[in-house]
Amino acid sequence: MASKAWPLSAFALIAAIGLFFYGADLRIPLGQWSAIPFDTSAMSMDQIILVYGLLPRAAVAMLAGAALGLSGALLQQLLRNPIADPSTLGISAGAQLAIVVATLFFPAVLDGYRSLVALSGAGAAAAIVFALGWQRSFEPVTMVISGLLVGITCAAFSAALTLSQGEYLMSLVTWNGGSLSQQDWSVARTLAFEVALGAVLALLLVRPLVLLGLGDAGARSVGVSLKWIRLAVAVLATALAAAVAAAVGLISFVGLAAPALVRTCGIRRPATVIATAPIAGALLLWLCDGAVQLLASTTAESFPTGTVTALIGGPLLLWLLPKMRTKVIRASPAMAGRRIRSGLSYAVILAAIPLMVILALVVGRTEEGWSMLNTTQIADLLPLRWPRLLAAAAAGGLLSLTGAILQRMTGNPMASPEIIGVSGGAGIGFAAAITLAPAAGTLELFLGAGSGSAVALLIVLAFASRKHLSPERLLLAGISVNSLGSAVLAALLAIGDQRSWQILAWLGGSSSTATSQSALLLAGLGVASLGLALLFCRWLTVLPLGDGVSRSLGLPLRASRVVMLLLCGLTTGAASLLVGPLSFIGLVAPHIAVVAGFTRARDHLLASFLLGVLIMLFADFGARTATFPYDLPLGFFAALAGAPYLIWMLGRRP
Amino acid sequence: MIFEGIFPALKRRDVLLGAAAFLFAPKAYAEAPSRIAAVDWAMLETLMALGETPVAATELIQFRKDAIEPAIPDSVIDLGLRGSPNFELLHLIKPDLILISPFYTRHQPALEQIAPILSVPFYTRGEPPFEKALTAVTALGERLGKQREAAELLAAIALRIEDMRGRLAGFAKRPTYLVNVGDARHVRVFGADSMFGDILDRLGLPNAWTDVSRYTFAAPVPLENLAVEEDARIVIISDIPVEARDGLRNSMIWNALAPVREGRVITLDNINPYGGVAAGMRFERLLSTALVAHGDAG
Repeated sequence: MASKAWPLSAFALIAAIGLFFYGADLRIPLGQWSAIPFDTSAMSMDQIILVYGLLPRAAVAMLAGAALGLSGALLQQLLRNPIADPSTLGISAGAQLAIVVATLFFPAVLDGYRSLVALSGAGAAAAIVFALGWQRSFEPVTMVISGLLVGITCAAFSAALTLSQGEYLMSLVTWNGGSLSQQDWSVARTLAFEVALGAVLALLLVRPLVLLGLGDAGARSVGVSLKWIRLAVAVLATALAAAVAAAVGLISFVGLAAPALVRTCGIRRPATVIATAPIAGALLLWLCDGAVQLLASTTAESFPTGTVTALIGGPLLLWLLPKMRTKVIRASPAMAGRRIRSGLSYAVILAAIPLMVILALVVGRTEEGWSMLNTTQIADLLPLRWPRLLAAAAAGGLLSLTGAILQRMTGNPMASPEIIGVSGGAGIGFAAAITLAPAAGTLELFLGAGSGSAVALLIVLAFASRKHLSPERLLLAGISVNSLGSAVLAALLAIGDQRSWQILAWLGGSSSTATSQSALLLAGLGVASLGLALLFCRWLTVLPLGDGVSRSLGLPLRASRVVMLLLCGLTTGAASLLVGPLSFIGLVAPHIAVVAGFTRARDHLLASFLLGVLIMLFADFGARTATFPYDLPLGFFAALAGAPYLIWMLGRRP
Repeated sequence: MIFEGIFPALKRRDVLLGAAAFLFAPKAYAEAPSRIAAVDWAMLETLMALGETPVAATELIQFRKDAIEPAIPDSVIDLGLRGSPNFELLHLIKPDLILISPFYTRHQPALEQIAPILSVPFYTRGEPPFEKALTAVTALGERLGKQREAAELLAAIALRIEDMRGRLAGFAKRPTYLVNVGDARHVRVFGADSMFGDILDRLGLPNAWTDVSRYTFAAPVPLENLAVEEDARIVIISDIPVEARDGLRNSMIWNALAPVREGRVITLDNINPYGGVAAGMRFERLLSTALVAHGDAG
């Protein structure tokens, strides 16, 4: 492996240099470079573009790549996790959300304080992800799933805010995509200073950090203060990612790829990996940017460089997967925890659902304010209200059921429908339908999203069932497919026209497109899936106990997982077709069910379903009335229900 | 007031005559829809241009900020986002006609249950949009029984463009970049396939951007791409985002562009880039006024 990797790296270097000089030569032939005057006012336009456009762009590409490579290598060493990087841990997404919020509410702050804004967002996201990982001693899969969830939350909020402001926020999409084009040396200068500072700090931290890798006891015996070293490394890695985000926007997966590249070259010593990863990152981003510029000069399409690096993330994760030594995750303590009489709890949920339905049907909001509708008005509005209520409820039930199945099946309490990759696939399908058929109606969109989720499911299945189907592999394969999905979507958003707006609207989720037929169909599917899932109760009782126990009890491990994965794919696909790729319901409802004492498999599934119904009924009501007459994205409201829960969970001891 | 939004200078007497004609109009008008809801912004403009005020329209807060013209009276009810209009409110308003474009095909079944719809395309890939906007005037005029108003409006637009074409002839020596600033490093550029590019062409002014439009969510064109035509003038359409102002002012490449260096940059007020006839004619009026005031003809 190592012997092949070196020539490959050399080739990449030559290609990057070649692409740069090809582009620069088009602007000004190399022979005439010596004639460029030092005085700016004496320069021709082409000379100015070379000196203040192309050269700083190459510098920024290398500096940003180096910063991300260093950040990724530090995180990977710190967490002993080969798939950690600012994008998989949600740090970059946090920085992005902070910039969106600042653009919306404090645009003047961005002029000059962009780095600070990005840093505050990145820091908050990192703090949440690290706090989530703390309880499971920074176990790699949990960290990445937490990062993904934080990333999804940030993206949901960004999309909702973008939509609520119409086209004014369009420039943010470029920011998200990470365009590297430069007009002067100011960005390069700032970034150079930040990278240099980061390198010095990394130099100081690298020895204690490597000692940490020897195990806590070993490190303590050499007299290293574990807590402070860890904190310092985490802060440094976050700050580097935030610096890049502030300078050029969201550049995903370079921090993941750079250390992987270095290791493939046969470099194993932690200190050397940390020292060489920035070089690999710089080379990688410079090469990607050269390819993007070549594409822009030869074809009509121009992509922000960030969307191109995002495309390599999914496949890269899949490739890294077999190299991971994941720890066997034991049953989550909560799932085997206390058990109370569930009769009363069922009664509470079953009473709350009709109450919520009545509230949603009877209470109305008009321009004058809140009011109770009279019977005539209720009858008048009923044909409009029941389909969306039923569709939202069914989607909530389906997603929660899927979450409960996945959490039991993998024994990982962070598993949820977004994670098996089906939502991402549905998104690609939806985007493809809009792109291919400009006037796509419900049927075309339905077919597009449906086939998208089916393909995503097939990929995950094919990949995960190749060897023995371990739950961790399954989750990571799903994450890979999802990140590929969102990368494709981002690229489509960057080249699309007014249709991009439709994609954004769907991403937020809206139940207002539900018709009576589609609502009934979804409800029927919900009931059928619930019945089917209840048949698997025995499997789902045994699976959380681990592979060993399951096998000894004679469970067909592989077959049971494939069957349940199929069910999960179908339910997620169907639900996201109607109400968008909602987040959190599938994570939150099964959790609440366990906390409420529904710990037996049958109770867990049933209660999760019912709780999902309840939460989505509330979310639909909120989305419809909170900013009347402007319907808010349903996903936004569902996320509002989920985010506080995620943070509350941090306070609980495992 | 029929054409007032588009031609403020139109004589009040003509308007009164038009109104009088309307009062004595044949019986056919009685059957025309009177409670109209406009979901599509271009259709909203077209409706207002024909002298009809809708009962409801979408995203009026944003419309008043971005499109500005025509001024929408406070009596018009806001239906919420264009992407997800408030169906319940629409149902309670009980319109007898809903105006959409093919961008809203997704909502068509739901809207059809509330009232009959009229869907007219404005923006189809590869087709000049202003022609479509003119066709939409005719189509809507027919549907509302306002064929005469529609014909008059079209004639007035043709006359105005012909007139301005002659008056702006001196400005045709320089090509024109039509851009919208996205951030301090990127612009969106309007080509011949955009509403603005189409009108520029009709005014006989050459477009400096010969490629297709680059108007998407992202601002995809780096500033240096505007360096190709050194003699060009740059017309910035709509406000520059607050967070881009300082960056652009200090940008080396922006300041080095020949049109910027030599003071050939014109800024226009906000105009809806996906509008109908009203947006088109607003662009024409703002551009002509700015060109004449700026006076770089020679």
